[in-house]
Amino acid sequence: MGIITILWEKWVEFRRDFYKITLAAMIAPLMYLLVFGMGIQTMSHGKPYLHYLIPGVVALTTMNGSFNAIAQNLNVQRLYEKAFDQVMISPTPLWQFMIGQIIAGSIRGLYAGGVILLLVWPIHTGLIFNGFSFLVLFLNGAVFSALGVVVSFLARNHADVPRFSNYLIMPMAFLCNTFFSTENMPKEIRSVISVLPLSETSSIVRHIAYGEVWNFSGILVLLAYLFVLTAIGLWFVYQKQNL
Amino acid sequence: MIVLKNLTKKFDQFTAVDSVNMTIETGEFFGLLGLNGAGKTTTIGMLSTLLLPTQGEIFIDGELLTRKRTDLKQKISVITQEYSMRQDMNMDEIMEYQGRLYYMPKKEIRKRSEELLEFCGLINDRRKTVRKLSGGMKRKLMVCRALLTNPEILLLDEPTAGMDAVSRRQMWNLLKQLNGKNLTILLTTHYMEEAEHLCARVAMMNHGKIEKISAPQDFIDELGRFAVDETEEGKAATYYFHIKEEALKFAAQINGSFKLRDTTLEDAFVERAKKDEIR
Repeated sequence: MGIITILWEKWVEFRRDFYKITLAAMIAPLMYLLVFGMGIQTMSHGKPYLHYLIPGVVALTTMNGSFNAIAQNLNVQRLYEKAFDQVMISPTPLWQFMIGQIIAGSIRGLYAGGVILLLVWPIHTGLIFNGFSFLVLFLNGAVFSALGVVVSFLARNHADVPRFSNYLIMPMAFLCNTFFSTENMPKEIRSVISVLPLSETSSIVRHIAYGEVWNFSGILVLLAYLFVLTAIGLWFVYQKQNL
Repeated sequence: MIVLKNLTKKFDQFTAVDSVNMTIETGEFFGLLGLNGAGKTTTIGMLSTLLLPTQGEIFIDGELLTRKRTDLKQKISVITQEYSMRQDMNMDEIMEYQGRLYYMPKKEIRKRSEELLEFCGLINDRRKTVRKLSGGMKRKLMVCRALLTNPEILLLDEPTAGMDAVSRRQMWNLLKQLNGKNLTILLTTHYMEEAEHLCARVAMMNHGKIEKISAPQDFIDELGRFAVDETEEGKAATYYFHIKEEALKFAAQINGSFKLRDTTLEDAFVERAKKDEIR
């Protein structure tokens, strides 16, 4: 099956660049946790701010891990290495290629998030991360992997992916429930930000971590994003005139 | 059999391929020749579904070729003009990736890979990543990769560019062998000697249009089978003749030095290109 082939390809890449990938996944989240969580000692919602920060940073890490694993890599394969040509020419159905990329990206995101969880493990926060947390994190990774595929097809040169990252990923990283609750923001801004995928992910993961009741509708929102972005990606691979 | 019907490709206002109609028979070795920018690579791009035609259709064995037709794509292998491989994979991984994309069993991938890498003299470098290979080695690896899947149709876009003379001859022999086993081959090349040596028929392409399709010898016969190269002070010219005696008679009148030789496909190509420039 084509999906397995794409996962194998990503595995080869992961195996080769294991240390680089792991280190790259750790640096930014660790900085956030050290500077904002441990450096600036403060309280939020009656708990140490670090407890608030960890679920958000884990969600943020899965987003970054998934998006970067797919967008940059596919962009290089399409525009520079031309390795994507071989996939296009091959009998592997392009929808399987797309699904393979999404799953591989989600796993990479989940791996990056898992590394952060391992690093904060010795700090006894009492936060809960269960199967639902990982399911939501996986879905979050899937959404941003699908976005990565779309961005890599939209990119016309190598500089375009970092540009898209600046426009889309960076604002989400700071605004979507990662460092502060969107509840305190003006209503108009809040209504936009709260439906963004990272806001939903952070919110659900944080509720689970606190042992609170969480809303299933967030999963539906993530699924809706995943569906739309996958459809756009499929349109590109099947209908775009010049790939 | 490959049939191109009214095949057209436009990039904004520029027409790269203009209403091309062409049939390549099963088992035929067919050459597509033309100057840079004639539309050869764009045609290969449409045949490999990387580019979608603006107009017209491509049929493989009577079936319309689209990106969704995985059954038709299974029959095709392509060697693109540019190196199209992951730079961080080694040769074994490149071959395995290709085999997996074509749903080949793992055992068969290994067996065929070894045979092909051995044949092309790459077997001892199989653990090297693509980034560490020379241009010629990369080209050979692309050939191995294309042949791994036992294709029925092979699209070759400048397959021997960057290869040394020995490797090129080796490649010609391999392609001839494969063509002998009923493999349909479409070749674009800038080496006219290659096209003359390998192709049963060639199409001359110019500004996106097919000007003429014929056997290489027909192009030569049309121009004249005998060529006289005249070299005089500050002047060099070639004259073509249908009859050897006429060529000799002409050569006898030359004051400077001359050389009588057989006309080649390259002569025919250059003369057509000159005519086009004048037009």
